[in-house]
Amino acid sequence: MQFELRTQVVEPRRKTFSNLVRRYGDRPASRYEEGSVDIQATENFHYRPLWAPDKELYDPTYTAFRLTDPYSFMDPRQLYYAPYVQSRAASGEAFAKSLEYVDTRQLLLKLPEGWQAIVADLLLPLRHYEAGAELISIEGSRFAYGTTIDQACTYAAFDRIGNAQNISRVGIAFNDGHAHALAEAKEKWLGDPALQGLRRLIEELLIERDYAKELVALDLCDRLLYSVMFTHLDEAALLSGAGAYSLVAQHFSTWFLDQRRWIDQLIKTWFADPEYSEVNKAAFNDVLARRWNQIVEAVSDVAAALDARVDTGAAAAAQAATSAVAAQLSELGLTVPGGK
Amino acid sequence: MTVPTQKPARKLSMQQRYSALTHDLDWDPTYVTEEEIYPYTTFEGIKVHDWSKWEDPFRLTVEAYNKYQAEKDRRLYAVLDGFAQSQGQLGLTEARYMNAMKIFLQGIPSGEYQAHRNFSHLARYFNGPGARFASLCQSLDELRHAQTEVHTLSHYNKFFGGMHDWSRMSDRVWYLSVPKSFFDDAGTAGPFEWLIAIGFSFEYLLTNLLFVPFMSGAAFNGDLPTMTFGFSAQSDESRHMTLGLEGIKFMLEQDEDNLPIVQAWLDKWFWRGYRLISLVAGMMDYMLPKRVMSWKEAFELYFEEQMLNGLFKDLEYYGIKPPRHVQWAIDEKEILSHQVYWVLYQYSHAAAFTTTIPDAEDQAWLEEAYPDTWPVFKSVVWDKAQRVVDSGERYFNPGLPQLCQVCQIPMGFTEPGNPLVQCQRHSIYEGERYDFCSDGCQWIFDREPEKYVQAWLPVHQIYQGNCGGPTLPDVAVWYGLEPGDGGEYIGSMDHQDWLAWHAPTIKEG
Ligand SMILES: [Fe+2]
Ligand SMILES: [Fe+2]
Repeated sequence: MQFELRTQVVEPRRKTFSNLVRRYGDRPASRYEEGSVDIQATENFHYRPLWAPDKELYDPTYTAFRLTDPYSFMDPRQLYYAPYVQSRAASGEAFAKSLEYVDTRQLLLKLPEGWQAIVADLLLPLRHYEAGAELISIEGSRFAYGTTIDQACTYAAFDRIGNAQNISRVGIAFNDGHAHALAEAKEKWLGDPALQGLRRLIEELLIERDYAKELVALDLCDRLLYSVMFTHLDEAALLSGAGAYSLVAQHFSTWFLDQRRWIDQLIKTWFADPEYSEVNKAAFNDVLARRWNQIVEAVSDVAAALDARVDTGAAAAAQAATSAVAAQLSELGLTVPGGK
Repeated sequence: MTVPTQKPARKLSMQQRYSALTHDLDWDPTYVTEEEIYPYTTFEGIKVHDWSKWEDPFRLTVEAYNKYQAEKDRRLYAVLDGFAQSQGQLGLTEARYMNAMKIFLQGIPSGEYQAHRNFSHLARYFNGPGARFASLCQSLDELRHAQTEVHTLSHYNKFFGGMHDWSRMSDRVWYLSVPKSFFDDAGTAGPFEWLIAIGFSFEYLLTNLLFVPFMSGAAFNGDLPTMTFGFSAQSDESRHMTLGLEGIKFMLEQDEDNLPIVQAWLDKWFWRGYRLISLVAGMMDYMLPKRVMSWKEAFELYFEEQMLNGLFKDLEYYGIKPPRHVQWAIDEKEILSHQVYWVLYQYSHAAAFTTTIPDAEDQAWLEEAYPDTWPVFKSVVWDKAQRVVDSGERYFNPGLPQLCQVCQIPMGFTEPGNPLVQCQRHSIYEGERYDFCSDGCQWIFDREPEKYVQAWLPVHQIYQGNCGGPTLPDVAVWYGLEPGDGGEYIGSMDHQDWLAWHAPTIKEG
């Protein structure tokens, strides 16, 4: 007879945390779920904010958009911190490679003259647009109710300051390591009539104090602007010997596809809410009524300025994008102001 | 239309390049005013004349940040996966070690998460782009900490009690109102006070006292995941410390009128943070099967030596004095952990951790670590508790404790220099009486009574019927407590499982 010491088979007592069992039943949970659902405090707050004494520290009424259950919104990308930084490390590396390729061959400096003007006058100033977009997004990181929305806003904010930095890198490469292209781009952002619609929009959104309304308006503008600046110009650039622009643009188009995934899901969730569906549509309509024409004008100003430098049909592309987005919104039962 | 010409400017220096990628993204608004965009930076009375004087505490770009952090998380999650696959929990020193991690999970990730949300507030509402970007990075880091802590302890939750409902418990359970009220207090303050409260006082002054006991406790007790998490978070923490230090220096350098405001915040948040981590003192001296150092030693090293004799010497230049009430903390260092653990012992039937009387080995260690105070404490408290156990019972306090209105810890601290007399202070505000555990908490209340009268005090709430019902079992259900979460360790589910897992089996062959 021989004795063998071994440890007993160890049976787990439970598969995951109780809050997830209450929501989804007794099943193993993903890391996205364990790290995102029910993380934010929801009750028994101790003190009122000194800067908002009518609100709780976390309060669903910081915005007009409401959800019966904040965790009815789940990020379709399932991004929590670790996969977020991993995916962005990969896209950051890809961008750096493209830029290095463009830079070592001085492809930006060799762009046709009109395309150089597009980069200098219209692309580079958008680093400020992206910086403003970061501020709007981080407002959601503080004021969203529930961790899943907060978290998506946080990553969007970091993405957008990253976009701003990448556009700035293009500017530095554009001038072969000198900064004056960025300085001139800033002057354009501050004074060029073609960009004032965008700047005015961003500045006005920054004083709204309703993160979701700001986010929705920004997103409407993004849809039009990205479609002209990056999707449309990407193709046009390829056709007119401006390959360097195309190389840069595709990174922004790719990012925007990713961004759309969570924003579309958020909008879908708002409108499917059992209790607040109509409230949310009204809030969305409110944004459209106040901002749609302003956004359409701002982007068509940019498109006209693009066509003035290289006639790629940007104005027509902007109009097509406007009609397409308007049709999508109408399909959702929203009221898009007419005339544009 | 301009076509850039090749100007003979020199290439950008690293600093110019960094500035082009960060500060220079900012612009002065003209369609609205700066005050409208950043409305919360004046009401606290802090005067800032020139935000461009903010020195970046670290120079990271988004690209570099994502790269470093992705690599760190890849390594951390590999350790977590390996530990779970190999049933690493079987290699812990003892199941009762898990009590430290229960307190950690119940108290810390919710605080990290609050830090994330409120650094986002700074990232949005500070006027200066440098201060905003540093806050943005910290906001992401804190979200990381909350999530990696939950993921680190997720495996243990499957095998041990007390961890399964941490997020609800952190909103409801009596002792967890201590950390919750701490972070609620900071988050409801203005952005500059937050920076002093969390960025400086918590992340700089007290961070080693909070984290080293947990992390080295993990290392000594076979808890590889928590230890790995701790190391992984350390490089984030060093960025946070430099942000906190830059924050306080920036305020002090901007205007001399800021000094009294900053000093008062420092006084407040030192005491607030010190009271919060007294829970850690009880944990490290009584809950770790293998100990690293005593609370007293940690306090002497990480606070008296590194902060009082180090940092505060540097801050003297600005006119900053050591925190008010610091002497009280020094005087308490030999009794603090005994008093806190005794409270936890008495009320652990209503808690999500277990406690037990220190065994012979523990007692020998305590005697050596606290030769002046342990023998007295042992005879006054533990010998009696042991007699109850010998008679086949276990002493739990059947009543509800009175809580300090500010720190929310049960009143059990004593008068300085007289460890046998309970300290109790009170103030009258608008005809009502409010009680405090110490001069420090009373002083904090008296500065802002309109804030602290709002506190959600767990014991009051139970009396008012807001916690599930009038009896302790009702409250336990509302807290989310399940069998195996609290009470006495010896004979608990964790203890029994542990013995079963490690029982040798005889196999014929
Ligand atoms: Fe942290
Ligand atoms: Fe207190």
